[in-house]
Amino acid sequence: MTLTVVNNATCTFCGCVCDDIELHADEIKIHKAKKACVLGTAWFLNHTAERKYPDALIDGKEATLDEAIEAAATYLHEADMPLVYGMSNTTCEAQRECVALADLLGGLLDSHTSL
Amino acid sequence: MPKSKFLPRGRKDRTAVLVDIRPTKSAKACDIFLQVRPGKDFELITILRALIKDQKVSEEAVAETGVSLEQCNDLVDRMKKAKFGCMFFGMGLSMTRGKHMNSAALLTLATEMNAFTKFVAMPMRGHGNVTGADVVMRWQTGYPFGITFNRGYPRYNPGEFSTVDVLVRGDTDAAFIIGADPGATMPQPAIDHLARIPTIVLDPHITHTSKLSRVHITTSVAGISAPGTAYRMDEIPLPLKPALKSPYPTDEEVVRRIKDAIAKKRFWMPEGEQMITAQI
Repeated sequence: MTLTVVNNATCTFCGCVCDDIELHADEIKIHKAKKACVLGTAWFLNHTAERKYPDALIDGKEATLDEAIEAAATYLHEADMPLVYGMSNTTCEAQRECVALADLLGGLLDSHTSL
Repeated sequence: MPKSKFLPRGRKDRTAVLVDIRPTKSAKACDIFLQVRPGKDFELITILRALIKDQKVSEEAVAETGVSLEQCNDLVDRMKKAKFGCMFFGMGLSMTRGKHMNSAALLTLATEMNAFTKFVAMPMRGHGNVTGADVVMRWQTGYPFGITFNRGYPRYNPGEFSTVDVLVRGDTDAAFIIGADPGATMPQPAIDHLARIPTIVLDPHITHTSKLSRVHITTSVAGISAPGTAYRMDEIPLPLKPALKSPYPTDEEVVRRIKDAIAKKRFWMPEGEQMITAQI
């Protein structure tokens, strides 16, 4: 079996964000993460492309993505003081959308930095 | 540690000072270890700020911090002699007595050190792209965190609008959590409040927070199966190179769809319309 090699991959496990990792992966999982530290190796090797979890959960029950998005929008729209929080294990592109979301809601916006 | 033009001997040309409440593993890797008494960070920083300006400091005030006056004077001397100093600070400073005032004091010390030599201060980051969140929020709102839009424009006040405080006081009546697991890390009263209000979680896994949430949406993992940009701790943006294809949508896509669904509903302010409905 041949593995696809991704050169100079970026590790987002910790704040160091190493960008010289060599990944060897097949369709499902990453088999090798060269130059990564112990934490980085665990980060890369423990994630797979499998469908491990349901697309979405509403009140603990399986739901479709469309239903969950509508439910989320309704909850946030009905709230007087909604909070948008987190944004650490995600991309800057998603963070930008989060800022727009908080702005649209007239809500609170905060990240891990405040911890 | 790299050797450079100005530091040809690498690590030997550098001095690392650790300040902590107990000798940790890092103490062995450092040249000097200063054991500060718990909750006395603000006092120690203020004493250092006085010493760099050659002001008199009483022995009792110094003794209270757990660090001796000789150690303080030695540290100040080394700081002033340094060509380029950097202070790294973490949650031990911002989550103990004094909270963000401790961080503010350290940043002031770094500012004031620039009267003598080049000095900077940098927060230590635990998770991947916290720095990116700071940068994006600064770019979009002018503030790095602890922001409210409840008057239609951004306002900033850590302590009032920061998440732990808002949750512990029970101010907020809905929460949207992305790329974080406050259910595992926050104080119990904050977690209790998250369970009381409608909480929405976006995460690649079913987390502690997912279990107490009303809505959980599974998304792809940034950097492994989702492309994008992440900021390094020193604010260098780096592109992500995903090696896998995820069956789940990206955070970006889901947040945008939720935002679009809300934009279709009535705008929250009684008068006026939202001026910007889409990101350019």
